Amino acid sequence: MTADAFLFWFLAFASLAGALGVVLITNPIHCALSLVMTMVSVAALFVTLQAYFLAGVQLIVYAGAVMVLFVMVLMLFDLKNEIQAFSRGRAKGAFKIGAVGILSGLIVGAVARVTLFTDTPPSASTMAQASTSVGAIRPLAESLFFDYVFGFEILGVLLLVIAVGAVALSRSKGGTHAK
Amino acid sequence: MTSAMTSMGATGLEITVNLIKTVLVFLMMVQAVPILVWLERRGSAFIQNRFGPNRVGPLGLVQLLADAVKFLTKEDFVPEKGSRFMFYAAPIFALIPAAIAYMAIPMSVPLKLDSAMIKATFLIQGFEINVGIVFVLGVSSLAAYTILMAGWGSGSKYSLMGALRASAQIISYELALGLSIVGVILLYGSFSLTEMIAAQQGVLKFSMFGYTVACDYLPNWGIFYQPLGMMLFFAATFAESNRLPFDLAEGEAELVAGFHTEYGGFKMLMFFIGEYGHMMIASGLMATFFFGGYSIWSYTPQEVYQWLYAWVGSAQLANILNTAVHFLSYNIKFAFFLWIFIWVRWTLPRFRYDQLMDIGWKTMLPWALANAMITATLIFVGSYFAF
Repeated sequence: MTADAFLFWFLAFASLAGALGVVLITNPIHCALSLVMTMVSVAALFVTLQAYFLAGVQLIVYAGAVMVLFVMVLMLFDLKNEIQAFSRGRAKGAFKIGAVGILSGLIVGAVARVTLFTDTPPSASTMAQASTSVGAIRPLAESLFFDYVFGFEILGVLLLVIAVGAVALSRSKGGTHAK
Repeated sequence: MTSAMTSMGATGLEITVNLIKTVLVFLMMVQAVPILVWLERRGSAFIQNRFGPNRVGPLGLVQLLADAVKFLTKEDFVPEKGSRFMFYAAPIFALIPAAIAYMAIPMSVPLKLDSAMIKATFLIQGFEINVGIVFVLGVSSLAAYTILMAGWGSGSKYSLMGALRASAQIISYELALGLSIVGVILLYGSFSLTEMIAAQQGVLKFSMFGYTVACDYLPNWGIFYQPLGMMLFFAATFAESNRLPFDLAEGEAELVAGFHTEYGGFKMLMFFIGEYGHMMIASGLMATFFFGGYSIWSYTPQEVYQWLYAWVGSAQLANILNTAVHFLSYNIKFAFFLWIFIWVRWTLPRFRYDQLMDIGWKTMLPWALANAMITATLIFVGSYFAF
């Protein structure tokens, strides 16, 4: 087994373990932390695919900011009810595992169908030429600001609306010192 | 999928040396901590007109070794209401972001060995990362989890409050940190730290509006191009490493000791290794972005190499001496900024928490944005229009 294959399988298992941990662990803080493990594993997978910029941005935005806020908010709640509310028992457990199995079966089936029945994937040379320092970021920036500039700007407006809306909603209910 | 491991080196020797280098950089970071703690304790003592530890060993240098032995023999306990897994995981996790991020900082000119036995080029850094600064920012933003895990795992209110405050502070100042660097990235047109250092060599010379401005006795360092960026970056890194004046999260008067209240013994030392590790990354990045990295004033490494070659006469020896001299130059800048961290800690009073968050969001973020916009405008206008 080459180093690449080992790295891929290890990271794939880490991502899947983290993702399964999110839905199967009962303590919400542990769930959030296993989601962090998923994010970091996905960033590492990006590195093996030589998308270094995406890996760095994934770490900065997802693992470094979004998940920190998730965990912070979860720490402010009283979680004893949450831990017990998530049911135990064999029927419910079988249902959980069945649901996870169906979803993963769907995803694996879709990926297998696409890869087995289409043309050859892009060659290593086209992938390699897009991977040197600014060379990898330049095509990304060009496609973002030339081809998809409308979507990019609309996403910015959407984020602004979300921020303003969150502040407005909390103020209408009395702000941070509301009962 | 092309091999990720070929970037570790072509021959067996290169791969081995690169692996050893990774371990060495980590050890370097960990071993610098006792020296820094000594510097802090003695330096703070002199600032406060007292002596500091001066009994154990010459000048008190062995004090921290004695402290480490003391910590090793302390009782190992977990608070009853805390989460055992997170209580143990948090100090270990404190070491990881700082160590990984420090790998990306180039510390000297690459060592080119060209003799009959070995013919290789070794980079004097942990690992060459071509999106250097994005990687460093991404990994050091994982430091917030250490604090959260420590606060939650301790199971006490002081710890949790301190942890929430500290992590809120860290993610707020991450924004100001990232934005203050945008000006530098725009200026040098690259994320890679090696390229940034290469662009800062030589004398101060830039062209704008068709005119070329040159000054022969100033180096081409980033501080002359981005003074505001430098000040914002330096201030933001104080907040990122939870150092005074931003250390309300560990303020003794308010929160006992914040998120590491319940920690004792070696686990607490590991938190401090992480904190000093972040200080080291901050100093290294300051030197790299704004002070030319390993370059010596305004002399390019080639000029230094020529001077050394004329002095020793052997190309091999001149190469090795070149690397060593630039490593020394980097370390001098590195030590200087670390000393400033320590100096500021014992000089300025700390900010109140609401003042701290106000500064991060309402002062530093707008200024950093303005800096980025002005830099971008000047770069574009300066190269586009020539009078």
